[in-house]
Amino acid sequence: MVDGLIIAIQLVLLVSGCVFFALGSLGLFRFPDTLTRIHALTKADNLGLGFIVLALLPLAPSFAAGFKTLLIWVVALAASATSAHLVARAVGGSTSDSSGKENDNG
Amino acid sequence: MQPAPASPIATFAIRAAILAGVWWMLTLGDPSSWAFGVIVITLAAGLSVSLFPPSVHRLRPVGFARFLAYFLGHSVIAGVDVAKRLLTPSLPLKPGLISLPLRLPEGGPCWLLANALSLMPGTLSVRVVNGRLTVHCLDTSDSIEEDIREAEVQVARAFGITLEQAGGDG
Repeated sequence: MVDGLIIAIQLVLLVSGCVFFALGSLGLFRFPDTLTRIHALTKADNLGLGFIVLALLPLAPSFAAGFKTLLIWVVALAASATSAHLVARAVGGSTSDSSGKENDNG
Repeated sequence: MQPAPASPIATFAIRAAILAGVWWMLTLGDPSSWAFGVIVITLAAGLSVSLFPPSVHRLRPVGFARFLAYFLGHSVIAGVDVAKRLLTPSLPLKPGLISLPLRLPEGGPCWLLANALSLMPGTLSVRVVNGRLTVHCLDTSDSIEEDIREAEVQVARAFGITLEQAGGDG
């Protein structure tokens, strides 16, 4: 009974994770410019990966393996936030409303 | 009035302990990996202290836990928000840039806020220059500035910083 419930929850989490990943990729096509596309990719993929990690946690054979799965998510989040910021900085300079006094070398 | 930064040795010890935890996760607790692990952890912690010397701004466990809860909740909202916009046929976007002065000190706190904002609803950090943050928003008619201020307060709490009133207008 409890096992069945856990499997059902895992299934729901896995499917929603995949749906969010698919939506993130859809955003790449539907959104009009680079910056809005990064919005879609970072946020939807972050959530999709989170759902998939949660779904896989009950399957982890040990505590260390469970933490390792969580670590994957944390590292992916950091990488996604950093790369989103770098792409945005590279793109944003040309279309920004800033005074232009800064001198990015990125 | 500022507290002094932690001593390099204490910082080294704390970072080595965290890295040991990461090593334990990576190797799935395999005891035979520790001989090599101790060398790697020492080198990595040493490198980390020389690249990022101890700062006056240290994370507070309770504040950071509250920040994490806030962040997780908002990243779910962010994903759902993007998904909703994507699936609406009319594609309701009103993208634009917003720039505002930060009350957080430079370094770790600013970095954490900028990265967290990139994963939170409707905002994407473009740059932080001279304590001024520029974010790109999906919808400029949303109450973006209030959201950023709230995130700023959460980050300040994570570092145990009291924010002064923002000088000047946005």
